[in-house]
Amino acid sequence: MASLTLDKVRKTFGSVEVLKEINLAIEDGEFLVLVGPSGCGKSTLLNLIAGLETSSDGEIRIGDRVINNVHPKDRNIAMVFQSYALYPNMTVRKNITFGLEIRGVASSERDKAVDDVARLLQIENLLDRKPSQLSGGQRQRVAMGRALVRNPDIFLFDEPLSNLDAKLRVDMRTEIKKLHHRLGATIVYVTHDQIEAMTLASRIAVMKGGILQQFDTPQRIYENPNNMFVAGFIGSPSMNFIDARLIEDNGRIAVTFENNGQNVVLPLQNNSPESYRSWIGKDVVFGIRPEALTHKRTGSDQPDSQYVNFDAKVEVIEPTGADTMTVINLGGKEIVARVRPDRATNPGEMMTFSADMNQISLFDPKSELRI
Amino acid sequence: MADIQTYGQNSGMKHTLLRGLLYLVLILFSVYYLFPLFVMITTSLKSLTEIREGSLISLPRVVTFDAWDYAWNQACVGVECSGIKTFFWNSVKMAIPAVLISTMLGALNGYALTKFRFRGANIIFAMLLFGCFVPFQVVLLPMSQTLGRLGIANSTTGLVLVHVVYGLCFTTLFFRNYYVSIPDELVKAATIDGAGFFTIFWRIILPISGPIIVVSVIWQFTQIWNDFLFGASFSSGDSAPMTVALNNIVNTTTGVKQYNVDMASALLTGLPTLLVYILAGKYFVRGLTAGSVKG
Repeated sequence: MASLTLDKVRKTFGSVEVLKEINLAIEDGEFLVLVGPSGCGKSTLLNLIAGLETSSDGEIRIGDRVINNVHPKDRNIAMVFQSYALYPNMTVRKNITFGLEIRGVASSERDKAVDDVARLLQIENLLDRKPSQLSGGQRQRVAMGRALVRNPDIFLFDEPLSNLDAKLRVDMRTEIKKLHHRLGATIVYVTHDQIEAMTLASRIAVMKGGILQQFDTPQRIYENPNNMFVAGFIGSPSMNFIDARLIEDNGRIAVTFENNGQNVVLPLQNNSPESYRSWIGKDVVFGIRPEALTHKRTGSDQPDSQYVNFDAKVEVIEPTGADTMTVINLGGKEIVARVRPDRATNPGEMMTFSADMNQISLFDPKSELRI
Repeated sequence: MADIQTYGQNSGMKHTLLRGLLYLVLILFSVYYLFPLFVMITTSLKSLTEIREGSLISLPRVVTFDAWDYAWNQACVGVECSGIKTFFWNSVKMAIPAVLISTMLGALNGYALTKFRFRGANIIFAMLLFGCFVPFQVVLLPMSQTLGRLGIANSTTGLVLVHVVYGLCFTTLFFRNYYVSIPDELVKAATIDGAGFFTIFWRIILPISGPIIVVSVIWQFTQIWNDFLFGASFSSGDSAPMTVALNNIVNTTTGVKQYNVDMASALLTGLPTLLVYILAGKYFVRGLTAGSVKG
């Protein structure tokens, strides 16, 4: 087990810069998830840590050891691949012990190690099968067993669940999380699925276009996204963005935007950051998550309440069972509100909504950064 | 069914007629291709007098293997009259090492070109590919000079070298195309497991190359065994391969023309490649069409 530090790591392919000065540091036992859309450089970053590719610049350290020029086999890492990459010609047992065998571990020790891992992953009955005789979920387990058996400093996972069906994916997700708790291992995990990132990570690194957008705990990333990309990428359904303007209304800062020829004024909380003041009179992007936008709540009529009411026409409703996603048109945009099913109305009807002003974000429309 | 119902009896007739025509054409072509083989086999089983008296297509009245025995043990190749058997072994001694070495090197090339990509790998592959299109005749003179300088002219070793060099383009192409479909992650996983270039090759890549090894072996064996030009150019006398010996038997100008011996010699020469196709032809087709390896 060890900590991992990436210091100003860059990677270029020819003249294309795929990673731009990545700085990341995680402690021993942390679960880091690299998340972002395809082509954001997250897999390249993982390959750099694994040593399958070399960085163009910067330093990668495991513990206190600089590993830039260390061969993958000497980095004491293990990796689980998206396609599992099981050796098709070997049995499950051979697959798991191959790394130990190459490293010259005695056969009695190998047998013990494979038994331990098989018990942990419940694959004891599969040990003599070939990979082609296994289901997707079983292959996934074997791939993890191959990583676990080596007892490495750091585990690297490259989209390990994306080849599984939806149900199995959720099960395996829980299992990986349990495994992490039990082993206390340091894990770096690549995914494009923000739900996987949120559920698994102790810290998330959101990437886009080779640039690290934000590196923080899941909850802080969710509540205080650095920019509009992070705000839109994390969370499902994604955050609503409305083009608005910041004004001063009766001594309180408020966002205002036009809706069906009327001005909607939503006063901000008194504890809003001071920095908002310099934006009075300027255009902003008003961001609010669907769950902060819901049916009328009790106590929302009090003047200093965090809830602000407004009326809007319901366009479409999408029931999910637990909540009904209600699409309304607000400020010329389609906005999703998360409404309790018993409070939802039919499309075409007017409904009073309540915005939780404690859970809003304001962004600079030009730089898209958080204000 | 729908067709038959709509067009009734008439269409059924038409269908049968077309079917019949199809079979007729197929049978005609089969006869056309198999007829020479039939003549060769029957002639080789007749005695010389029977050949002189009977017609070309008649079956032998008395089946005799004398011609086969004579071709194998006594036929005269040049001034040496000890049959084609020594030359058969020459061919074996040439073909087996040449096939194995070129297949092995082709596998290594394909592996390096796809899984350990280096700067210029594409250019090297393109150049190797170009080698497939160089006609044999072009390399005859430079090759004979090279063999002379290496001191292996007129020897089986020299022929092995020639065939390995010439076969490398094809075997590399086969293996390269096969390995392209094997996921790179397999090699990455093995690298992290601590295996090096050759360990990965021996322990992981080669064991899953079965189908393409069969293709390469069949292709190379057929090419090398059937080769006449290189055999005639770079060997002489005792070291000549079977194809050259066959030519010398058939083209002798002295004495009576022994058609039955000629046919038996030709069949003996063609037998090994025929056997390889019959035994492994199924795998040949399967290997050529083999896609990605499921892991």
